[in-house]
Amino acid sequence: MRRSQVKVLLCVLMLSLLTSSAAFANQTVTVWAWDPAFNLYAMEEAAKIYAEINPDVTINIVETPWDDIQTRLTTAVMAGQTGTLPDIMLIQDNALMKNVIDFPHVFADLTDSGIDFSQFADFKVSLTSVDGRNYAVPFDNGAAINALRVDVLHEAGYELEDFKDITWSEYIEMGKDILAKTGKPLHSIVAESPDLIMAGLQSAGTWMFDENGDVFIANNDVLKEVIEVYVELVNTGIMVQVNDWEQYITSFNRGTVAGTINGCWIIGSIVLPEEQKGLWGVTNMPRLERSPNATNYSSQGGSSWTVRADSPNKDAAIDFLAHTFAGSVELYETILPSSGALATYLPAGDSAAYSIPHEFFGGQAIYAEITDYASRVPQVKYGVYNYEARDAIGVAIAQVLAGRDIDSALMEAEETVRFLMEF
Amino acid sequence: MAKTLNNLKLKSRQSIIGWAFVIPAALLIFIFYFYPIGRALFLSFQTGIGANMQFAGLANYRRLLSDNLFKTSLTNVLTFLALQVPIMLTLALALAYLLNDKTLKFRGFFRTALFLPCATSLVSYSLIFRSMFALDGFVNALLTNLNLITSPINWLANPWTAKLVIVLALTWRWTGYNMIFYLAALQNIDASIFEAAVIDGAGAAARFFRIVVPMLRPIILLTAIVSTNGTLQLFDETFNITNGGPANATISISQYIYRLSFQYSPRFSYAAAISFVVFILVAFLAMIQMRVGDQR
Repeated sequence: MRRSQVKVLLCVLMLSLLTSSAAFANQTVTVWAWDPAFNLYAMEEAAKIYAEINPDVTINIVETPWDDIQTRLTTAVMAGQTGTLPDIMLIQDNALMKNVIDFPHVFADLTDSGIDFSQFADFKVSLTSVDGRNYAVPFDNGAAINALRVDVLHEAGYELEDFKDITWSEYIEMGKDILAKTGKPLHSIVAESPDLIMAGLQSAGTWMFDENGDVFIANNDVLKEVIEVYVELVNTGIMVQVNDWEQYITSFNRGTVAGTINGCWIIGSIVLPEEQKGLWGVTNMPRLERSPNATNYSSQGGSSWTVRADSPNKDAAIDFLAHTFAGSVELYETILPSSGALATYLPAGDSAAYSIPHEFFGGQAIYAEITDYASRVPQVKYGVYNYEARDAIGVAIAQVLAGRDIDSALMEAEETVRFLMEF
Repeated sequence: MAKTLNNLKLKSRQSIIGWAFVIPAALLIFIFYFYPIGRALFLSFQTGIGANMQFAGLANYRRLLSDNLFKTSLTNVLTFLALQVPIMLTLALALAYLLNDKTLKFRGFFRTALFLPCATSLVSYSLIFRSMFALDGFVNALLTNLNLITSPINWLANPWTAKLVIVLALTWRWTGYNMIFYLAALQNIDASIFEAAVIDGAGAAARFFRIVVPMLRPIILLTAIVSTNGTLQLFDETFNITNGGPANATISISQYIYRLSFQYSPRFSYAAAISFVVFILVAFLAMIQMRVGDQR
């Protein structure tokens, strides 16, 4: 008797589950993203906003590091088990094109989903689209900044203004002087991590691949100039190489170096030491001289929200993103002050929250400034073989620093990438 | 069932029971080991990026011959093997011999201390080695304070010192592990053999080389094969201490496989081909070791 009652109850439960998932309501949209202070926080705030618009949809946020997302994504697709993937995944911009092309039909084409992509910064839309189709809702801004300790600059007789709109050789000249007077190098970098090289390339609108997707390394004059600058920065002692990310963060948190050049998300790490409050300032990064399209603007890092194409909750996921990350200035106003999560959603840039002075940066209105940088970042396509090329360039840098000439190191890098590309 | 079992002859009854014990394990091994190995072999004859695959015969294996990164990683791993395994096994054998001495005080303590590294996780000990050998790390501080060096050495930025750090780390982690095998084997050598040797006037060195080494030959062979196998599949240490750097000077075959599968545009088929080469290498080296070492 009791058993049959349980059976009936179970049937009713199953039925109710089935009927509810058939409608648009009572769905659960699962999200994978990393970084609790930044991406996850933004997602939680977005979920709160959406709860008022559509209380029947639950947003289930699961913290997943980027390396795990990539590994799980690859494994699930290779095994034909895309059902194990969440409805929304945060993807690094530099891996997005690779994943969209390697795994066709996994990511939803959002071009005609009703999301207005003209509302986002052009360079970011370019990074998140493949063959003119949009595959992700752009999120955080990776606009490159040169963050400097203004007190150290003063000690050597310089102002933050002296670093605005400058070339790399001016940067090196001042860097030498500051190093001599204060004993502090200007910035630090993780050895063999080619992030600065990549930022330099993009600042001149160039990449390691040409517009047809062919390798463009050995005869890339911009790349040569960037590497020359890199070597000079290391040899003059203006830039210190450290072994890992922890040491990199520590180097400016402890004041071993006088600043850092990176994507603007690095602000989250800069503001950690309370005693450095008010001592920092932000300006744009130095530009190249020989390269024709050189600018003082670039992008480094950054990620975007993708939707799984075969998800039963696809429409709910798109609706959620359209009402939050692609439609709510309020969301960007909420997340900006505490996380520094700068948007690439242009309407948010006009919001009053962006012009509020930042105490840590001596009252500078850094967010308005960085939003302005973001609108000037040259567009490039990172391409499918971006990680292969990054590693090859990392090896080339190590070889050049050990005494090898740039041309032959780049020739080998090009051959390595070409080899990895051909199948 | 019980009745039919009873009716069978003792011999066939025993063999049925025997099979009943063996079959579940054999099935599991077949499903979770041999089937994937077979699938991987099949995969290695295909090419393509991501999930777009077609049959390509031996193309992946031919490609290996012109793959510089594969050659670099193979050379690195063989260098680690040639440097590290002999050092480690000799050390382990010597330590086991010393710790087998019944007159030694605090024997239990030393044994535990030497075995303890094996209880640490590969990733965490690698991270500790990395920070110890950092430019401003413990080792440089120690050497500077002892006035052995004037300026800190950038251990992980130079190809040979980086290799040396990996070898050191591996030796620290695995010596105790091999020592336990030798200790166990030493305890199986009859004490009367040693007594007889002492009466005949054999010194400690003679006892070590004339009795211990020959009698431990099968165990030495086993540890040599296991260590070779482990070194060829090296991943955690190089990934965490140097991440393959500087300029791929420490990249291991497994890390190259990982890059091909998960960091680059995924090429599972080519990665599978490389794993089979490692498999063949392990088998080949083990065969040589058996030929040289096993004289039964």
